[in-house]
Amino acid sequence: MIILDSVTKKFGAFTAVDNVSYTIKKGEFFALLGPNGAGKTTIVRMLLDFIKPSSGSITINGQPASDPASRNYVGYIAEQHMIPPYLSGFEFLSRHASLIGLSGKDAEKEVYRVLEIVAMKGPERKKSATYSRGMKQRIGLGAALLGKPTVLILDEPITGLDPIGIRDVRKILENLSGKGVTVILNSHLLSEVEKTCETAAIIYKGKILIKDNITAIVKDHETLEDVFIRYIEHENE
Amino acid sequence: MNNVIKIMIYTMRDQMRHKSVYVLLGLSIIFILMIRGCYDSGYTVNGKTVDTAMVAWHVSKIVFHTIAAGMFLMVSMLSMKIFSRDRTDGNEVLFLARSVSRWQYILGRVTGTWALSLIFMFLLHLTIFVTVWVKTGTIISGYLTASLVCSINLLFVIACVCFLSLFMPDFISAFFTMGILIVGFISDGGHQIINSDIVRSAIPASTNGGPALWRILYPKVFMLQAYADAIISDSEFHIMGPFHPLLNLSFYILLIMLLMLGFYNRKEI
Repeated sequence: MIILDSVTKKFGAFTAVDNVSYTIKKGEFFALLGPNGAGKTTIVRMLLDFIKPSSGSITINGQPASDPASRNYVGYIAEQHMIPPYLSGFEFLSRHASLIGLSGKDAEKEVYRVLEIVAMKGPERKKSATYSRGMKQRIGLGAALLGKPTVLILDEPITGLDPIGIRDVRKILENLSGKGVTVILNSHLLSEVEKTCETAAIIYKGKILIKDNITAIVKDHETLEDVFIRYIEHENE
Repeated sequence: MNNVIKIMIYTMRDQMRHKSVYVLLGLSIIFILMIRGCYDSGYTVNGKTVDTAMVAWHVSKIVFHTIAAGMFLMVSMLSMKIFSRDRTDGNEVLFLARSVSRWQYILGRVTGTWALSLIFMFLLHLTIFVTVWVKTGTIISGYLTASLVCSINLLFVIACVCFLSLFMPDFISAFFTMGILIVGFISDGGHQIINSDIVRSAIPASTNGGPALWRILYPKVFMLQAYADAIISDSEFHIMGPFHPLLNLSFYILLIMLLMLGFYNRKEI
């Protein structure tokens, strides 16, 4: 379970996240929607303790986000996942496996398990400098899936992926459904969010405008995109 | 395995992927091959044959300090880009998105670079030690101990460059650290010269009046080098002020590491 309690983040005079509170239940597939600069990535960075909230608190599985132990079972993929160019995909994943406590044969087995899932078996021994952006995203997703995480934080995971890649990611997420994995998905592709997530929150100028089940948010003859635009335009009026 | 040890091992591997390490290794090998001839016998000065062991001993001391000075440059180059490179190539996120504390990350990166440079320097000193032994049959006792003592200097340089690189451009942080070393070299070098047997016998009054407080408290990189020299020579070592250079540098290293952690903890990733 993830709990954000009155979380505010200020960068100087600018308030990126303004008194945000919400709870994401265990096993929930939650989408964080908002235009560029709305505060989505800031929230993700606070969840991972990359930045500290100015006020409020965040807990992941009962532990404060500031405690590195809260990331024991958290998988994360960034919008533009970076892999050190001198490492191969295999080496990169092996480092992740080692950092989550796997070693030797267990680590290798786990790395090959996720390489299979993200369809990167084959070029896994090539240096990541030779990978396309989509391949890097796949390896990044593989790193997030290592060690069977209980929380997945996916910040624009399908950026740079081709339609087949997007479908693969959707399938991977569908496979995680019902297995108790909590997923936080930041995405601009609202049609994909509609297909994969159960709940969504729309964030704008650092404030949560609505958080509910997608089925409750989307009314008849509407799409999530229509709802999203309606809310943003309403705020701009 | 502890996260610090894991990151330390990754750091050593990562550093060894840089071409500059191999360029410096190549230059060091060439340097050692070039000075090998100095240990051959047959020196004659003013018609008198000079003891080969004596020449070898003096040459080895000069080479000892030359290697240490070269290592200062090398570790500065290796350290200055650690954090900026990690930020741009994704290593920082790789470690910190996992259950790795920031202090573990910093300690792992610093000690990894130190361990690599320590091994590098020790191997170079060991090569000289073995060369002297094989060529002249002389064992310079204390030579390898002195090498290990000097490695504290390397740790100081690494910590200093890494710390400064958190809020300075990479090159400037290395440059700044070199500046600290040069000031210490002038200050402590002067002290060593004044306290040398030759000067003391020639000008006894030169020992009067203690050094200024800042000189006593200044990081004693050069003094530690002089201490290592004294270990090799098995000679008297004159410390400046009440603190031994080992204590002085240990304090500075601890202080810099704590400051670095403090700054890094507040840093946004």
